[in-house]
Amino acid sequence: MLAAAVTVEAVVIVVCLLGLMALRYRIAARRRAVEDGVRLLEPVLHTWLVLDRDLGAVVETLRRMTAYAAFRSLARLSTQHVTFERQQTLARVLRTEPWVAAMLRCSGSRFWWRRFDAARLLSIVGVEADAACVAQLLTDRNPAVRLVAIDAAARLNGRPLVEQELDDLPRHQDAVQAYQLAALARHAPIVAQALEPRLRPDTPVAALNAWIDAAGALAIPGTLSTVRTLATHPLPQVRLHVARALRRYADPETPGVLLTLLADSDWRVRAQAARALGALRCGVATGELAEAVRDPAWWVRYRSALALAQIGGPARDALTALTQGDDRMARDMSELVAGLSTAAVIEMSEV
Amino acid sequence: MLHADEVRHALAAAIQVVDLGILWYTFVVNSFFALLLVLAAPQLFAHWRFGSEDVLTRSLTSSAVPRVSILVPAYNESVSIVDSLRSLLTLQYPYYEVVLVNDGSSDDTLQRLVDAYDLYEVPPAVMRRLRTQRVRGYYRSRTWSKLLVVDKANGGKADSLNVALDAARFPFVLACDADTLIEPDALLRLARPFLFDQKIAAVGGTIRVVNSCTVEDGRVIDARVDSRWLAGVQTVEYLRAFLFGRLGWNLLGGNLIISGAFGLFRRDYLTEILGYATSTVTEDFELIVRLQRYLKEKSIKASVVFIPDPVAWTEVPSSVTVLGRQRERWHRGLIATLITHRSLIGNPRYGATGLVAMPYFLFAELAAPLVEAFGLILTVVGTMFGLLAPRYAVAFFVVAYLYGTVLSLASILMEEVSFHRYRRTRDTLRLVMYAFLEPFGYRQLTVWFRLKAFHRFLRGDHSWGKMKREGFGSGTAEAAGTGPAVVRAPRLTPISVPEI
Repeated sequence: MLAAAVTVEAVVIVVCLLGLMALRYRIAARRRAVEDGVRLLEPVLHTWLVLDRDLGAVVETLRRMTAYAAFRSLARLSTQHVTFERQQTLARVLRTEPWVAAMLRCSGSRFWWRRFDAARLLSIVGVEADAACVAQLLTDRNPAVRLVAIDAAARLNGRPLVEQELDDLPRHQDAVQAYQLAALARHAPIVAQALEPRLRPDTPVAALNAWIDAAGALAIPGTLSTVRTLATHPLPQVRLHVARALRRYADPETPGVLLTLLADSDWRVRAQAARALGALRCGVATGELAEAVRDPAWWVRYRSALALAQIGGPARDALTALTQGDDRMARDMSELVAGLSTAAVIEMSEV
Repeated sequence: MLHADEVRHALAAAIQVVDLGILWYTFVVNSFFALLLVLAAPQLFAHWRFGSEDVLTRSLTSSAVPRVSILVPAYNESVSIVDSLRSLLTLQYPYYEVVLVNDGSSDDTLQRLVDAYDLYEVPPAVMRRLRTQRVRGYYRSRTWSKLLVVDKANGGKADSLNVALDAARFPFVLACDADTLIEPDALLRLARPFLFDQKIAAVGGTIRVVNSCTVEDGRVIDARVDSRWLAGVQTVEYLRAFLFGRLGWNLLGGNLIISGAFGLFRRDYLTEILGYATSTVTEDFELIVRLQRYLKEKSIKASVVFIPDPVAWTEVPSSVTVLGRQRERWHRGLIATLITHRSLIGNPRYGATGLVAMPYFLFAELAAPLVEAFGLILTVVGTMFGLLAPRYAVAFFVVAYLYGTVLSLASILMEEVSFHRYRRTRDTLRLVMYAFLEPFGYRQLTVWFRLKAFHRFLRGDHSWGKMKREGFGSGTAEAAGTGPAVVRAPRLTPISVPEI
């Protein structure tokens, strides 16, 4: 039995060593193919981008490569150098290429990496006709495929796709939501239209918060004015998201709403209201913010002091005055913030 | 009365039975490692694909990434602290801060920081939630707004991390050592699980061996495998531990090792469990066990995951004495942690952590040096007295040895297929050579160090021991006692091959 085990292990070792050599060779070969592809593609792509001619040469160069090398070279160069508008032109001519069609047929593959490549390729060459395929990839079981499909969806300009993404938004974690919103920003008018009817007080809280965040991230004035009407929502977590979103809405009526939120019973709402007042440079809120530096909640004191430093002028003077005050907590916080450089105040207010 | 021959036969039979038991132990433990390897392979492929996709890395430079506070304890790091900190302050990550804690250094670490980063003292306007040694002052930088330096009385690494945890502003914290070199994009890569919609309690990255690598401005610019035996063998050991050991645990659901030198945690969970334990000598391992326990007890569905492509580099001991102190301390910490959290072992309430991970650490990690040493002694004595056929003993050793070598080679293979950090063929050949050499001498040494851990644990020893490192540049740094400036490397998953 021992002899058999030794034999098996020796065979496995030999297989490992042979595999090591073979893989080293194969990986080097594939890497070389992509590097060669990039070297061939770069000048013709550059000619097309700068002189706006010889798009055919780009297509022809890609056609001469293997599908793997063509895809990798294109992905690397197009994301670095090609603007969104020029990508649309490129997409129209490449979409009918045999190697592209072959790769996109894998969008229904049972292997996630093939679906991933298809979604990635769609984010470069996708056209309106691919909307159904992208919609399917957006709900893929693999999160990486879903993420790349968000980029693909950003290329297409259709209301149903945007509606689907907005409906999915509340189900995602914060990081994915932020990523999706950055992609949706390309279609801000359509998103605004789709968001408006969703921003109602009776909408379920999780979804409402996600959509308020979306309105804040896209900073569309019309949508934000709808968000502002939710400042009196009975639930503090909704008011918190409203206060956060309103920091992107510079409008004469916003400071009044934010001052109301600065007096909210929930400290998280107060902290976000102070942050928004600072971001909007609301000098009219100086007195209330100086008062808020005495708040029992640490975060409210911190955000209020930062807001005073951000607003500057008389607000900065009010902050300096607090460093001499008799409230120890307000004094500590104002001393901390008053010593910060302008760059530090901007950075710390932002995050 | 028994005849002498009968006694002899009975003894020989007993030794054979025990040896067979040890062989089965070896087989089961190494087969478990093989299972981890099988589980790790598809994940490694996935992470390699994700890691090589520029689209995923680029997407992380957006506002989507979570805000991170990097916690850096420093003790007597005067020689290297300015450069180490600069490399941390220039990471590719949009939203982060660095909270450096000077743990009562007896050298001029703080003054060097004040001079280099134009620090000024600020009031203690932070929320204190954890009990720690006295904080002497908080400093902000006029030139680097993302830097906060805290000066405190000496209390050890865990105590410093607790102070940093209190001073941190962001929802995620990355604990790292002052002498760990984090790759510029490592933090971006570490944040990838967040983009994949995973609910995360902690994420760990890979630690690689920096000895013999070319380092410039706190960055590894050329990865090499050390030609010296001790550091070279540890390079293979680290590859094995990270590339399949921890990845495999991801799927088993009970990942218990996130390196203290490079791990990202949700701050609120750490605060809930009262931060790092100051009474242990392996605060990283103990923290993860406590975190997993907390998550299960509170029914929080958040995972502790390991991803292989974010890389930090650390220096491993290049002398047997220092290696001995390190491994002895790690094992002592393992013993203490398993005793403290013994109620988890085999407890179905704690899911995979209680049913798989903790029993694994008990039988395959804690008991391994005892079994190995016993097997070695028994076989040598048995062979010397003619109670065990030499051929049987040799065959037994070859089986056990080859199995371990297979796993080492597989991890080198995985490294070659995926991240391929060592570009020279000479370095790959060195790795293969060390994979074959590891069982000769190195394994026996680590068994001895781990056995000493039992002795020191029973004596109630809680010290870290004096450590020495060569540094990335010139000069040698030395640290002692509970200070954190010791060679800090992650816990490894050794391959348990009983020596016979």
